[in-house]
Amino acid sequence: MKNPLIKRVPRELKSDWHKYLVIIVFMVLMIGVISGMYVGHDGMLESVYSNRKELNLEDGCFELQKKASPELLEGLAAGEKADVRQYFIDKGITEADEKAAEAIEEKLVEEVTNAIKENVRAMCAGYGITDEETIREQTEAAMADSFETALKEAKNSEEFRKAEAEVYKEVHDKVTEEVDKEWDKIVDRYDLDDEYTPVKTLIYEHFYREEPEKAGDHEGNVRIFRSDSMIDMACFNEGRAPETTHEIAIDRMHASNVGLKIGDTITVGGREYEIVGLLSYVNYLTLHEHNTDLMFDAFGFDVAMMTPEAFEELTSRLHYSYAFRYLDAPSDRVKKADYSAAFLKTLITQALVNDNAIDDYLPEYLRQASNFAVTDIEGDSVGTAILCYILIGVIAFIFAITISNTIDKEASVIGTLRASGYSKGELIVHYMSMPLIVTIIGAVIGNILGYTAFRNVAVNLYYESYSLPKFHPVWSSTALVKTTIIPLVLMFFINLFVIVKKLQASPLKFLRHDLSKSKRTKARRLPSWAFMRRFRLRIFFQNMPNYVVLVFGVIFIMLMMCFAFGLPDSLDHYAEKAPSMMFADRQYMLMDCRDDDGNLLETSEKTAERFSAATLLYPKKESSFRTGMGSGGDESVTVYGISKDSSYVKMEKETRDGQILISSAFKKKFGLAEGDTVRLKAEYENKSYTFTVAGTVDYDGGIAAFMDSDSFNRTFEKESDEFSGFFSRNEIGDIDEQYIATVITAEDITKVTTQLNHSMGGIINVFKYVLIVLAAALIYLLAKIIIEKNEKSISMVKILGFMNKEIGSLYIIPTAVVVVLFSIAGFVAGYFLMLWVFKAFMMQMDGYFAFFMKPSSMVLSVVYLLIGYAFVSVLDLIRIRHIPLDVALKDVE
Amino acid sequence: MESGFLEIKDLKKSFGSGEARQEVLRGMDFTVRKGEFCVLLGPSGSGKSTLLNIIGGIDTPDSGYVSIKGDKLEEMNEKQLTLYRRKHLGYVFQMYNLIPNLNVKENIEVGAYLSDNPLDVEEVITTLGLQDHKYKYPNQLSGGQQQRVSIGRAVVKNPDILMCDEPTGALDYKTSKEILSLIEDCNRKYGSTVIMVTHNEAIKYMADHVIKLRDGVVRHNNVNDKKIPASELEW
Repeated sequence: MKNPLIKRVPRELKSDWHKYLVIIVFMVLMIGVISGMYVGHDGMLESVYSNRKELNLEDGCFELQKKASPELLEGLAAGEKADVRQYFIDKGITEADEKAAEAIEEKLVEEVTNAIKENVRAMCAGYGITDEETIREQTEAAMADSFETALKEAKNSEEFRKAEAEVYKEVHDKVTEEVDKEWDKIVDRYDLDDEYTPVKTLIYEHFYREEPEKAGDHEGNVRIFRSDSMIDMACFNEGRAPETTHEIAIDRMHASNVGLKIGDTITVGGREYEIVGLLSYVNYLTLHEHNTDLMFDAFGFDVAMMTPEAFEELTSRLHYSYAFRYLDAPSDRVKKADYSAAFLKTLITQALVNDNAIDDYLPEYLRQASNFAVTDIEGDSVGTAILCYILIGVIAFIFAITISNTIDKEASVIGTLRASGYSKGELIVHYMSMPLIVTIIGAVIGNILGYTAFRNVAVNLYYESYSLPKFHPVWSSTALVKTTIIPLVLMFFINLFVIVKKLQASPLKFLRHDLSKSKRTKARRLPSWAFMRRFRLRIFFQNMPNYVVLVFGVIFIMLMMCFAFGLPDSLDHYAEKAPSMMFADRQYMLMDCRDDDGNLLETSEKTAERFSAATLLYPKKESSFRTGMGSGGDESVTVYGISKDSSYVKMEKETRDGQILISSAFKKKFGLAEGDTVRLKAEYENKSYTFTVAGTVDYDGGIAAFMDSDSFNRTFEKESDEFSGFFSRNEIGDIDEQYIATVITAEDITKVTTQLNHSMGGIINVFKYVLIVLAAALIYLLAKIIIEKNEKSISMVKILGFMNKEIGSLYIIPTAVVVVLFSIAGFVAGYFLMLWVFKAFMMQMDGYFAFFMKPSSMVLSVVYLLIGYAFVSVLDLIRIRHIPLDVALKDVE
Repeated sequence: MESGFLEIKDLKKSFGSGEARQEVLRGMDFTVRKGEFCVLLGPSGSGKSTLLNIIGGIDTPDSGYVSIKGDKLEEMNEKQLTLYRRKHLGYVFQMYNLIPNLNVKENIEVGAYLSDNPLDVEEVITTLGLQDHKYKYPNQLSGGQQQRVSIGRAVVKNPDILMCDEPTGALDYKTSKEILSLIEDCNRKYGSTVIMVTHNEAIKYMADHVIKLRDGVVRHNNVNDKKIPASELEW
């Protein structure tokens, strides 16, 4: 026969339906959201991973100053370190040989000439000719007749060959000696003594051009690749690849952001193209223009595809970019780092010996554009799952408290059942059934929603943020485990623990309602405050477990509130401060400071001021495989050389050689102080510079260091008049565009915030309201328990003549005090936690972005929670009013 | 004693409907004078607790009325009824109904708080012999001690009427007599009108006024001229 107690479960569900409805809705939402995130995220990642193979994602890329020679490409493909010593010797010998050959020739000509002259003079003397004019004429005739023959004979003579060989040997020895003398420096500079296993690669040409893009009001920058590229190919979300010279396919996310669609016309590099496809490049899942960008920019930056013919018709500078794939794929991230380091050494040496230079190098595993979205999607689901588990844990505790109260209420029944022979196990199973049934209902409905509605929400959310390929739904076993098994396990163990503890007492104790552990202890004495205040305090002490759960929930919700209010505030704050983050309205970076004729570039713009800049690396010391030469894992520091009395950068003091001023962002991010020593490394050379921090420049726009321009040129071994660009208030119109590498304006600084606002703005507001509902639901459930537990007392004081508002003040004020106090405490905790989280997050990124909350947001984040609570308080008052007077009399009847 | 302090007139009350309808009070009439010790005596189902609840303003009759000092309870709204209970009544229940999270003194203060003219809490505690227990919680006390606290909570209000619903129903013989003596003392010392519901016949001998109920009607309504102290009761 089935345990008859099971019949109580549906009745309990029915009688207290509103409580269970709140819990089930809560669970369905939580589980549905996690399930949707996992299903969406698993499907999306599956699409991304399968595309990586199908679309031939690179293992890394590099850009050279000029087109690579076949020898260079061959050397790179073999992965062998080039013979740098031989290169320098050969280079030295070639130069020396030329000079030696010239000198020998000169000497030989001189000696042959002298010999002819002496022979003619001797012959003339033999004939008695003394007239110098005649001698000169004879000499000229002899030179004309026999110089060449004599020279030839001399060159063929054994003596000459011997002498020539000696000269060349001497010169070659000298060159080798020189190279050897300098060798230690060269070895150190290019890390040549570090042996490594050659990594064989396949090298692909992946040239691109960058052109201005215009469509209506929108203006941006587009990076164009050829449609016949065999590496880093694209998936078409809509439309097709371009087939004629008037067609273009552009990034889907960018098109969506700026309102472009298939069939529209855009102007690229001054020509009009019809959009025929919306694509997602496998290496551009986020539109990071530069790998060091703090955030991608799907508004101002675009990637596009053109036919090879259309590509050739473009006039902008061709970027000699190459991508590579390892023949033997590295198995993990550490191996990838090793391979990348080996390849970089090959690249450095091969570029050097083949008379080329590296402009850029980036291994794929550090490429933000292909990894940012994936990491974020993975992080999202992990983060969301953790948040949801915390909430499910809170719900499990609410259940545990409810059941604990029920056991208190039903003590005599339990005593009777135990006395009649019911085992403790049977009762545990009975009391456990409700939380588990509710969790299963929540999990089933939640998963159904997760696989349908919430999945689409998650996928759309990802599409709103990233340039992702087409989504292919997949069955997610992780979703099932994480949304069903884990909540059930949480619910099972938390409740089991509480129920087993509660059912420890003997049947007799249950019959006598003797369950309190504190029976033998003396009651807590309270100060002689007003009676009502002491009454409230007693209620508070009586409901401590409820308040502990409540405090936990409130603090947790406040943490979320700080995030929900703080993120948009931080973005706004950053955007507001953006103009002050610019040294000048325009910052022109030049390709070179000299024109093709070697003259220094000049401008008539009066507000223009020269500056110098170099990019160095500051070690983050975060993880071993993300540091070191060219790893991309270190922080990029822009070192500026600033003119004396600059009107753009206010240097608080002059710097001597070896001294720098650092930007306030640099100082805050790494906790540096005046007097600290900072070691900055060159990007692609094993060269480092040590500076003493002499002060700060108030600049939050980036990680930067400043020094006097003369000092800059000396430090970086530049010529005394060299510079990198101009700061200017106005547009500079008299420098040929071909010499300008980039122009930085305020928009470049605010693109981070524009993008984040676009990706997260809407969601954040919804999140705020969800938090209010969450807070209200949590407080509702806990306050309900408190009132239910005290139902008899409330009924009794009603009989005695207490007014409803007095009773309300007794039972609501303690909860109100707890909610208010801990929402403030939770806010403080949340605020400081967010400061820390933001800083930790920033350490993983390049650049700096501080957490900020407006005072009004600080107040609002608490007020929002209190609004939720106020709503619950009204419900509580109604509930108290509805407690019948006869509840207290039931035991008597 | 003032006559007609509490008047019950043609009080009727039934529960359920149709065939399950059960008439609990079938037209009850009596009056209680101020300061009187009145015992409502009757077996289970005679309607005595229902009558007490209606007098206490926590239940309402189908017809008839209860008036106290001329004010009819039927004419009062919920707030006025609450004020009525607050100002005029003290309650003592069979199961004590103390507030579990308040200690002895605080439970008595619950009564004092409601009154405009409360007795001294400490004095009441002393009178009830609870000095050594005043900081204990109800679950640390015996049944008799809990009932003393319940009486303390009721009398500290200095109520016009002390309503006692089977106050000794859950107590042993000795403790019952102690509790009855305390109620008797309170009646005498503070002049409260006592209405006590009981099925214990012996208690009628300590009352001024004995009303016997059966099947929802008053069977006997007698004044007891030979009342004896509670301590001398035997059953």
